[in-house]
Amino acid sequence: MSEMKTLLALFEDIDPAVAAIDHLRDMGIRDEQINVISGIPLTESMLGRPRQWSNVPRLAAGGSIAGFLIGAFLAFVTPLLYPVSVGGQALIPGPPTIVVLFEMTMLGMLVSTFIGVFLDSTFPSYRPKEYVPEISDGKIAVLFNCPADNEMAFMNAMTNLGAQSIAPAELQKL
Amino acid sequence: MAVTAESLQHTLVEEHEDPREHLMFDPKPRGEMNGMVMDSMLTTSWKFWVVFIALSILVAVFLFGAWGYLIANGLGVAGVNRPSYWGIFLVNTVFWVGISHAGTFVSALLRVFKAEFRRPITRAAELMTAFGLIQAGMCIFMHMGRVWLSYWLIPYPNGRGLWPNFHSPLAWDFLAITTYILASTMYLFLPLIPDLAMARDRSTGWRKVFFRILALGFRGTEGEWTHLRIAMGIFAFAILPVMFSVHTIVSWDFAAAMRPGWSSTIFGPYFVVGALQSGVAAVAMVVIFIRSSMKHMKYFIRPEHLDALGKLMLVISMAWAYFFFNDYMVQWYGGDKFTHYLMHFQESGPLGWMWFALLLCNVVIPWLLLWNRKVRRNPGLLFTIGLIINIGMWFERYIIIPVSLTINRMPFSWRMYRPGIEVALGIGTLAFFILLYMIATRLIPIVPVWEIQEGQMAHSLRKVGKATVKSVSELD
Repeated sequence: MSEMKTLLALFEDIDPAVAAIDHLRDMGIRDEQINVISGIPLTESMLGRPRQWSNVPRLAAGGSIAGFLIGAFLAFVTPLLYPVSVGGQALIPGPPTIVVLFEMTMLGMLVSTFIGVFLDSTFPSYRPKEYVPEISDGKIAVLFNCPADNEMAFMNAMTNLGAQSIAPAELQKL
Repeated sequence: MAVTAESLQHTLVEEHEDPREHLMFDPKPRGEMNGMVMDSMLTTSWKFWVVFIALSILVAVFLFGAWGYLIANGLGVAGVNRPSYWGIFLVNTVFWVGISHAGTFVSALLRVFKAEFRRPITRAAELMTAFGLIQAGMCIFMHMGRVWLSYWLIPYPNGRGLWPNFHSPLAWDFLAITTYILASTMYLFLPLIPDLAMARDRSTGWRKVFFRILALGFRGTEGEWTHLRIAMGIFAFAILPVMFSVHTIVSWDFAAAMRPGWSSTIFGPYFVVGALQSGVAAVAMVVIFIRSSMKHMKYFIRPEHLDALGKLMLVISMAWAYFFFNDYMVQWYGGDKFTHYLMHFQESGPLGWMWFALLLCNVVIPWLLLWNRKVRRNPGLLFTIGLIINIGMWFERYIIIPVSLTINRMPFSWRMYRPGIEVALGIGTLAFFILLYMIATRLIPIVPVWEIQEGQMAHSLRKVGKATVKSVSELD
């Protein structure tokens, strides 16, 4: 198996970037060997890329269940742990229980959604990564792995498709 | 005929409006917009420092100095006493919680409904939420008096046999405000990450380190954007019921008590709409201030945004008037003797001017002025109306809390509330809010550049017959 090399092609606009991704596929590069880095969210359908997997909705659902259980503990169990009896009133009243359950469920959902972004994106991660600062200025980077012995062919193809620059990807301190 | 000709002329003017008046149809290269936002952050005039120093002194004296005095001398230096146990401390708490509502409302609700005018102003509004809640929280701790014992609220085994009752309205408050402050801070931070990465790429020195830490290593890969987009979608939907719950629960602190003027089933939505009334007016004020005081902001914040905020203020003012009248009508018709005493006291007592002023500020002035497009698009006028609404809403909370507490079912205890140290503390919290906001405008990009570029990408002009019409594409 030949040695692989990572190249970074920088495009001004989305259309040449999409054309470049299609061409890379034609040249035998698989989707998982390509990544697109951009300064605005570009959806999979815009780029013609496979759907991105995200655990965030599942984590949010899990967090809401955990929040509900904590709320249930506060509402149902704490009154039994230390009964505060107020004359003529129920130890575990119904309507206030709903308030506690609602707030804790929402808190669990929102906190786990936030944590989900960190887990799925492996934030924070300050180790050097393939990046160029022009991306945050609106350029679109197509990052891909290709066989090292065929590097020039890929570079020429990207240039012909409108890449502003194409070079071996360098690790940048983020 | 005159009306027809006039309206036809108006339509023609509208048709020939230059689309470049709108931010979405006047795009600039992303690098240039980034440069403008960074420049606005880094440019600090002498006026900024003068205001900064003045506010710092106000905060030191009126907030921390006065709070220290309160702690040293006890709650006796405040005006709260029987029967008005809840004075300006609680007025300010409700006021700041109300202010905090606008951030979520403008950002989340308008995001859900894809209202495009939100794009440049969401962050300014979200910041208000976070800083408003800090002030609200501080007011509660001030009101505790012996603030160093606040850990007694935490459930842990203790020798005094003290346990929090999670079915108490005050425990709901704690849970709701904690949920809201955490949720709104996270909701502020998530869409900020790409802009922090942009700032990291364009900074040097200590700012580079600061932005590098906060940007968390964000590059803008497909995966990162996907996770962020999904999370922001969940937040936009989930934070709305939390927002409604917070002020509803605050209203239950009052409505659940069998007191004249408070015991009302309409208090929940009435408080929520009141919060939006003051909050949206405050967003307009902040946005206008940013526009006039920060470099390049006239490109991002335009008369169209002020116009939209003005319309929102007018609609909310109408909704507030509806709920106010609902509450008033039912209390008046109920025939309870002490409620009638209270209503007469509110309208014709020593603070009757305040009751009429709140109607003037919240209904008469907004209704008379905000229907006019020219007024809505005039920054000075809209700022003034926003200020008037906020003064009116503060009066409303003052009438609801200490004035209503004056008249209860035990006439022998009726006594006017006279504020003490809490006036200074109120000035201190206001100064602290503005100070925090000023610092934030110099530390984080106040305009979400990536959201603006995304919006500009989605907008286009197309021909329908002979007309050129604006259209927006769904990018999700």
